[in-house]
Amino acid sequence: MALIKLNDLEIEVEDGTNIVEAAREHGIEVPHYCYHPGLTRPANCRMCLVEPYGPIPGAPPGTIGPARQLATGCTTTVRTAPPERKLEDKYDAIVQTDSPRVKKAREDVLEFLLVHHPLDCPVCDQAGECDLQDYSYRHGHDKSRYIEIKNVPPKKDLGPDVLLYSTRCVVCTRCIRFAEEVSGTGELGLVHRGSHDEIDIPRSHEGTPIQLLDNKLAGNVVDICPVGALISKDFLFKSRPWFMEKANSVCSGCSVGCNITVEYKADGVYRLKPRFHEDINQHWMCDDGRLGYHYVNSDDRLQLPLKRVDDALTPTHWADALTVIQEQLSEVEAEDIVVIGSAQATNEDNYVLQQFAHDVLQTTQLGLFGQLPGEEHKFPQFTIEADKNPNTAGARTILGAANGNVVLEGDALWEKVSGAKVVYLVSGAPERPLGDAEKAALERVEFLIVQDILPSEVTQLADMVLPGTTFAEKDGTFTNSTGWVQRIRKTIDPPGEARVDWEITQQLANQLGGEMNYRFAGEISLAIAENVQGYADATHQNIRDAGIKLAE
Amino acid sequence: MVEERRILYEHLDVPDINTFDVFRQYDGYTRFEKAIAEYQPEEIAQMVLDSGLKGRGGAGFSTGEKWSFVPRDIEPRYLCCNADESEPGTFSNRYVLEKNPHLLIEGILICCYAMGIETTYVYIRGEFTLGKKMLDAAIKEAYEKGYLGKDVRGTGLNIDIYTHPGAGAYICGEETGLIESLEGKRGQPRNKPPFPAVQGVFMKPTVVQNVETLCNLPFIVGNGVEWYTEMGPTYADTRFDPPKPDANTGTKLYCISGDVNEPGVYELDLGLTCTELIEVAGGLRGEEVKAVIPGGSSAPILTHYELDTRLDFTSLTLAKSMLGSGGIIVMNETRNIVDCLLNIMKFYAHESCGQCTPCRWGTPWVRDIVQRIADGNGRKDTITRPKFGVAENGRWGDTGETEEIYEDLDLLESVANNIANVDTMTWNTICVFGIAVSWPAVSYMRKFRPEFEAAIREGKLVTLPVAEATVPPEENYAYQQRFIPKEFADL
Ligand SMILES: Cc1cc2nc3c(=O)[nH]c(=O)nc-3n(C[C@H](O)[C@H](O)[C@H](O)COP(=O)(O)O)c2cc1C
Ligand code: SF4
Ligand code: SF4
Ligand code: SF4
Ligand code: FES
Repeated sequence: MALIKLNDLEIEVEDGTNIVEAAREHGIEVPHYCYHPGLTRPANCRMCLVEPYGPIPGAPPGTIGPARQLATGCTTTVRTAPPERKLEDKYDAIVQTDSPRVKKAREDVLEFLLVHHPLDCPVCDQAGECDLQDYSYRHGHDKSRYIEIKNVPPKKDLGPDVLLYSTRCVVCTRCIRFAEEVSGTGELGLVHRGSHDEIDIPRSHEGTPIQLLDNKLAGNVVDICPVGALISKDFLFKSRPWFMEKANSVCSGCSVGCNITVEYKADGVYRLKPRFHEDINQHWMCDDGRLGYHYVNSDDRLQLPLKRVDDALTPTHWADALTVIQEQLSEVEAEDIVVIGSAQATNEDNYVLQQFAHDVLQTTQLGLFGQLPGEEHKFPQFTIEADKNPNTAGARTILGAANGNVVLEGDALWEKVSGAKVVYLVSGAPERPLGDAEKAALERVEFLIVQDILPSEVTQLADMVLPGTTFAEKDGTFTNSTGWVQRIRKTIDPPGEARVDWEITQQLANQLGGEMNYRFAGEISLAIAENVQGYADATHQNIRDAGIKLAE
Repeated sequence: MVEERRILYEHLDVPDINTFDVFRQYDGYTRFEKAIAEYQPEEIAQMVLDSGLKGRGGAGFSTGEKWSFVPRDIEPRYLCCNADESEPGTFSNRYVLEKNPHLLIEGILICCYAMGIETTYVYIRGEFTLGKKMLDAAIKEAYEKGYLGKDVRGTGLNIDIYTHPGAGAYICGEETGLIESLEGKRGQPRNKPPFPAVQGVFMKPTVVQNVETLCNLPFIVGNGVEWYTEMGPTYADTRFDPPKPDANTGTKLYCISGDVNEPGVYELDLGLTCTELIEVAGGLRGEEVKAVIPGGSSAPILTHYELDTRLDFTSLTLAKSMLGSGGIIVMNETRNIVDCLLNIMKFYAHESCGQCTPCRWGTPWVRDIVQRIADGNGRKDTITRPKFGVAENGRWGDTGETEEIYEDLDLLESVANNIANVDTMTWNTICVFGIAVSWPAVSYMRKFRPEFEAAIREGKLVTLPVAEATVPPEENYAYQQRFIPKEFADL
């Protein structure tokens, strides 16, 4: 640990910390553009200048004063100094971040940053979360001295989801470095020189793109762009950031479990943004996850229970649906029932489901359903996993929680299904295609109950469809492929009469004479902690935003 | 009358000196052979340090001292010869490359021997196609004669030279920009530290040296340190106790252009005055000297008051200017300084690498302001404000007078100083290109302010008589310590 004097604060930081981070840890802002903790540091924006102190050359020993040149806070790191090099006998570094010189330098750099800037905040998506706005407001001049003609570089379409408003670019090169270092795809570069610098993708002489910014991590450049230069087409002109609520959650796109922020309004989810997690996703997320939320807002969402009447699925109300199911279930023996949980559902959903199976239906025959594996994508600093379910690990363990439970997957499951009379299938994976054998097995089932969020191949075969919820509409936890149990949070209300999956199961259980009265997901997590091996600490209270890693 | 002293250029005009055989007749490679036969590598490095040789590329940093920063335990080490000569007004390296390339190769060999270097890259300005052709041919010959390649002349040394053409960017002359470009990246200077001596080409220790600097080495080795230090002044820097010798030894290839009768490259001892130099170059063309740029376009300008300034590293630094690359541009009474600054600023605005904010957007801004003034659209604030200065009571304050404000001149100075402050010599940029921009901008404006004011007042370029156009030194802090102070007397 190094002891540094930062302005008039005395703070301890780890060796190797730079001044920007050291200050940030203690609530002091050192404005910066090119520095991003997940990328290399070119120190080219010159925004983070600070004033380090040190021995004055030629002065008597022990005299210290400000260094002649300001230093960039992003590349100035502090380290424990040997005793003879300590300043004022104890400090490893003394740094001013708000001296008049520093303030002047910031003003000057901000003035330069704005000379060619279009100042089109009123129509800029970034407004409200823009470092240029914020720093100008906090550290800049109130007016411009620039009366010359501004550069107007063109707007560019860089790839499937990314637009570049070149006029707003501050040439911090974060996007270039991301494409080089994290995705390793290197689609971005600078063209021209000096004040005509422009970010671009490789193009032929005629200007037609040779390579698009279309890698699966491309969306991250929009996040790290400190200004409104890189813009997501998906979010373009949709909302002002300050009108959206935010909730910390976890991406449901694959088993990596990227930490995200869901940004939403009452009428739906607007965008997903990655949230830093040191061991899981760092600062990033993939575009499949980022842009994969649209089904949540879909008009096709299941909103009412559907009952098969004369070969057609017709809407009904919950009371009717539950009664019909009760009738069907009470007619069959326990061994003729198969209950199938979902790798898309939360641990809480699956726990209630297996409790229902075990305690109420008294069957130990469970199955696991979910998205089919996709392709794995490896990047230098990121991996998108092949397992497209967020909770395979969790569902597998938790469905098997109660004594004697057998969790079947794959062929063994479909074999079992084909011999069953009633199957209660919680899906949550409406896009999953069914194989011929799988279809045949489900067709043989006498009464198929499917709980899902959208019409799917499975609901096509169902005798009763129950409208469930997506990750955005409920609280709970997912366990990712490396054993991290993490929280997802309810953002918007489910559409129509759709209900949280474990609540449906609980109601069904009670209809059948069971006694379950969980009031909220956190309560289920207490039961999980008590009854599932390895999950002792994984209560919602403990997990919070950081997640908890299960013991290996 | 001052005489040229031709050392580097001595045999420049000998027919076919570019061939090995002729070069050999004029002592070619004997200095390298002497170095190997008579000295240990460390001794050569010591000789270079003792010779007081300062880098001829621009920064004027002691070559021997630079070599001493190179960690000798890290392999491989590289030599980078900077032949990107692109500073406006500078054209001396080019002649060496085109006419006497073997001299450069010999210099490189000596440096490689002294520093234990096996690989040298010569980064040649892209436009120097002839120079590159000649150097490539000479390198080929040197390989054939066994002066390059494996086991050079049976000494066990392995030395290779590769030439690399630039692609037309001034900034690739900056040593780290050069290294980036050489590595195949965009020519953008690196943050320092680490300096190239520690982490240069491919992040290995690298000596970067100008062509002219390297060409001095054969003569230092051949004729000895004593012979070398007799040329040019050595001052005593009395800020140190005991006074530190401040060497300006050797000759310099001065590139004299502008309003002189015989422009060209002249090899002269360091320490001559501007007046003497103009004389050497055939005298002034025109009536009066208006201004002299002493060290390439980046150097602050000298006025007719300063013609007795000695053109060496120390004296020019004390005159708040620099010797830089030794590109001297003389201007007579017909030249308009606003126009001249515009020309230079157009160059810098075009050449900024664009990496760091102040330089990327400040440099074209400065150009635009000067352009506006030159076009007659300069703004003069109509409001007068109290003039600050030494008031009646002898204190600093309101003098009771008013002054007209030339808003654009204030702006010009402020913007330039925000890129790199010439008064405090601090810059917020990555490389010193920033100061190369603000130095001319601020010095031209301060020293020739009447001409700038006239352009704004009259709404067009007005060339004033020299005496009227120039601000006398007493009135302006752009000048400083015009003469070498007494304590800097010759050693
Ligand atoms: C903007 C800029 C341009 C430069 N251009 C050149 C150049 O064209 N040739 C050169 O030799 N040095 C140039 N230099 C100086 C080099 O950075 C470096 O100091 C020099 O090559 C070191 O060699 P020396 O010690 O032998 O002079 C330039 C420096 C700057 C800041
Ligand atoms: S990038 Fe920022 S400052 Fe620029 S227009 Fe957008 S919101 Fe405004
Ligand atoms: S587009 Fe954004 S991230 Fe990329 S250089 Fe410009 S400001 Fe930086
Ligand atoms: S000062 Fe100018 S030339 Fe030097 S790195 Fe910065 S932008 Fe490039
Ligand atoms: S953040 Fe430090 S220079 Fe850009």
